[in-house]
Amino acid sequence: MREQSTRKMVYLSMLIAMGTALHVVEGMIPIPLPIPGVKLGLANMVTLLALYLYGFRDGLTVALLRVFLASLVSGTFLSPGFLLAITGAVGSTAVMALLLKHTRCFSMIGTSMAGALGHNLGQLFAASLLLQSSAVIYYLPILLFSGTATGFFTGYLLNSLLQQKSALPGEWYR
Amino acid sequence: MTKGDKILLAALTCLTLLSAALLYGRFFLPKESTRARQAVVSVRGEVVRRIDLPSSGKSSFQVQGRVGPSMVEVDGARVSMREAPCAGGICVKQGWIEHPGQSIACVPGEILVRIEGAALLDAVTR
Repeated sequence: MREQSTRKMVYLSMLIAMGTALHVVEGMIPIPLPIPGVKLGLANMVTLLALYLYGFRDGLTVALLRVFLASLVSGTFLSPGFLLAITGAVGSTAVMALLLKHTRCFSMIGTSMAGALGHNLGQLFAASLLLQSSAVIYYLPILLFSGTATGFFTGYLLNSLLQQKSALPGEWYR
Repeated sequence: MTKGDKILLAALTCLTLLSAALLYGRFFLPKESTRARQAVVSVRGEVVRRIDLPSSGKSSFQVQGRVGPSMVEVDGARVSMREAPCAGGICVKQGWIEHPGQSIACVPGEILVRIEGAALLDAVTR
């Protein structure tokens, strides 16, 4: 076991709880578009925050546990939607962790948009495996458009949060 | 918003548009060149000639109507009535037709030139 402070564990637990709540709640928000599969990606904000604060390993933990718990709450555990959510979460976490670690030119907005892209690509890959069909590629432009838009939005929110120094006081979360 | 963000936003926008154009483009372009079409010429209701379209090059032929001979011209994928013996010459003034469903009618001569084939969609309701 790695050593980690109780504070950090509590903070991670809170992030997972927030992510779960956002994931479940955003599933209830109707999106006024005639196509399924477009969502706000609010829960991704929590993943990005965890990545920003703690790095890839803990960020991935938060993302995966969040998907797992949310699927239990909403009753979709091991359903196709759950598998798509898992691959999407892994895709976005990987892309965002890479950008956070190896680039300096993106704010949370760029990182979040790239994360949405990774999410969509991971989902499409899993969907094409599930359906044994490459026809899901026709979803790509729609997902690219909505992912960029929602990624911008959630990244903007996260930027605003991080500018509030009082929201993350000092070493409190270490 | 940093410069990198803006570049990424622009790149993603371009990628979206490009992929949409590549993937959805072919649903909006009518593929007329691959459609089998025929120009059907009939006099007094009886078919006197069928021409597969598009035909190679220009050609014209005479059709004997009720008031005299008319000249029908075919140029590639399109058809027109070039000469008519009637007074009005409405059929001549109509010019070229090329889409399935279009027709040229010469009322005095009782000649009808129609283009047959799978029609493009007029409308879609759902």
